[in-house]
Amino acid sequence: MKAELSPRMKTALYGLMCVLLIPFVFPTWWMVTSSVKPISDIFAFPPQMIPQHYDWTTYSKVFELQPFVQQYWNSAYIAAVVTVGTMVVSSMAGYAFARIKFPFANTIFMIVLLGLLIPSEVTIVPLFQMFLKAGMVNTHWPLILVPIFGAPSVFATFVMRQFFVTLPTELEEAARVDGLGRFKIFRKIALPLAKPALASVAIFTFLHSWNLFLEPIVFLSSADKFTLPQALTQYTDAYGGPMWNIQLAAATLTALPVLIVFIIAQKQFVEGLAHTGLKG
Amino acid sequence: MAEVTLSNVRKSYGAVDIIHGVDLGINDGEFVVLVGPSGCGKSTLLRMIAGLETITGGDIRIGGRVVNDLDPKDRDIAMVFQNYALYPHMTVATNMGFSLEHRGGSKSEIAERVKWAADILGLSHLLDRYPRQLSGGQRQRVAMGRAIVRNPQVFLFDEPLSNLDAKLRVVMRGEIKSLHQKLKTTTIYVTHDQVEAMTMADKIVVLNGGRVEQIGAPLDLYDRPANQFVAGFIGSPSMNFLTGTITAGGFAAPGIALPLPALSAELQGRKAVYGIRPEHFALDDNPDHGGVPAEIILVEPMGSETQVTMKLGATQVTGVFRERVALSPGATIRVRPDLANIHLFAADGGQRLN
Repeated sequence: MKAELSPRMKTALYGLMCVLLIPFVFPTWWMVTSSVKPISDIFAFPPQMIPQHYDWTTYSKVFELQPFVQQYWNSAYIAAVVTVGTMVVSSMAGYAFARIKFPFANTIFMIVLLGLLIPSEVTIVPLFQMFLKAGMVNTHWPLILVPIFGAPSVFATFVMRQFFVTLPTELEEAARVDGLGRFKIFRKIALPLAKPALASVAIFTFLHSWNLFLEPIVFLSSADKFTLPQALTQYTDAYGGPMWNIQLAAATLTALPVLIVFIIAQKQFVEGLAHTGLKG
Repeated sequence: MAEVTLSNVRKSYGAVDIIHGVDLGINDGEFVVLVGPSGCGKSTLLRMIAGLETITGGDIRIGGRVVNDLDPKDRDIAMVFQNYALYPHMTVATNMGFSLEHRGGSKSEIAERVKWAADILGLSHLLDRYPRQLSGGQRQRVAMGRAIVRNPQVFLFDEPLSNLDAKLRVVMRGEIKSLHQKLKTTTIYVTHDQVEAMTMADKIVVLNGGRVEQIGAPLDLYDRPANQFVAGFIGSPSMNFLTGTITAGGFAAPGIALPLPALSAELQGRKAVYGIRPEHFALDDNPDHGGVPAEIILVEPMGSETQVTMKLGATQVTGVFRERVALSPGATIRVRPDLANIHLFAADGGQRLN
């Protein structure tokens, strides 16, 4: 039984939590408020936590200076395709590793997991050469194919495998007696039951793709093909200095879908963390 | 409905033999219970009949057809699992109609069959619920409904009552038995509970260490166990065993001489095990009636009977008495073994001698 905290302890605990909240909330607060401040106010000392003057034109300039709608669409559709693709690949691979007996299954799984240990910076040059030969540089294909068949998918496969391992074998045996073959068991029984794991894979994959930075700056060179993280770096003045307030307005718009996704899928996100065994 | 025949069926995992050549014939419509202690291979044997495990050797026939290499779906069997194995994301109705759906049944036919099964099992008001919204007994009934809806040739039950509490187990035992009487489908039922085996079976198969110890009707196994293992396994409380030697006048066990019925002379002098069931002792104070002294160790009144743990010579035994007599630990009473129900087993190997 949990012991009830005394009012004094409760106050102290809440106070501590409020202090710990500052490093997490402050950057977002700073980004949103600074997006409507004139540049001179952003670096004013003492810092202005609440803007004294509002400049809403920053948001219209975001769309004037770059094809931001197109870039938004690029990020959105790439993230969507990568998310769906990764869910398909990782659920099938995870199921195979968890349920199908084949020679050296565990060894192969370990080799696949090793992919997680290789930093993307190491593989980016060979990948660039490969996609260059295939005529795919300055297209979105590398941003779609690399995550679906690369490290993010390996992580997703690991999550899905861990889920399918815990699925009672009797369910599959009952399905076999009921007349289902292997693929139908996967599709009709295992997959619908894997919704929590799939949701966590979807959230992690979407966030990873949405925030991808290194790959877009390597593979894309024209502004209309850019994704959002890459587009954010392009809000500079004639001397190459950052246009802070416009950049922060663009950053606020970029963070918005992620925030919405998180609010909608908060429960799955937390469950997803539990599935992976990771701690936030 | 169909006959099921097992001919020299074997199962090995690598060099380890699990099932050592089982021969078994199950008649059309018969209720057969496979019983034995944990690890005796009863569930493995059932899973081999279902097609969920491959067989290493021998033949399994269902309805005269060899099914060794057929998938479970092609064997025309239905199975009820220990933990029910209901699909959690489907309603009761969908769970029950799932197999028919995948065998190309029309919607009206599926609905009709599900309704028929639900009516039989009293599930009609639960058809829209999910398994998580059901009690253990209801889940068990849905699992049975899923099995009967398809009208298969053989029902296979793998310890279906072991997840239920004692009271519900008795209720469900009766329901399964009456379901079998209604449908008359050949049924193979696995349990480690000999009471379930005794009360439900037309025929019991006692397994031990992957071998069949005895096959027979419940009372045949109870009255004339083929060996010491079956004698000890069937019956609760279990049979008492006293090790000793057959003599001219009876049986010499450590610290006591016990009476025996007339035996062939060639058994005299042989080392043996004297077996007697707890209810085959009678309280009898008259020393002329062949009773033997017993020191009372523990008295357990059960209401309808009294279970008494006592010492016959150096061996502790259990007696069950219908009489309500005042017995107290430490006292010595006289008990008379029923000579018509004495079982003698070989001291080496445990085979029946009388």
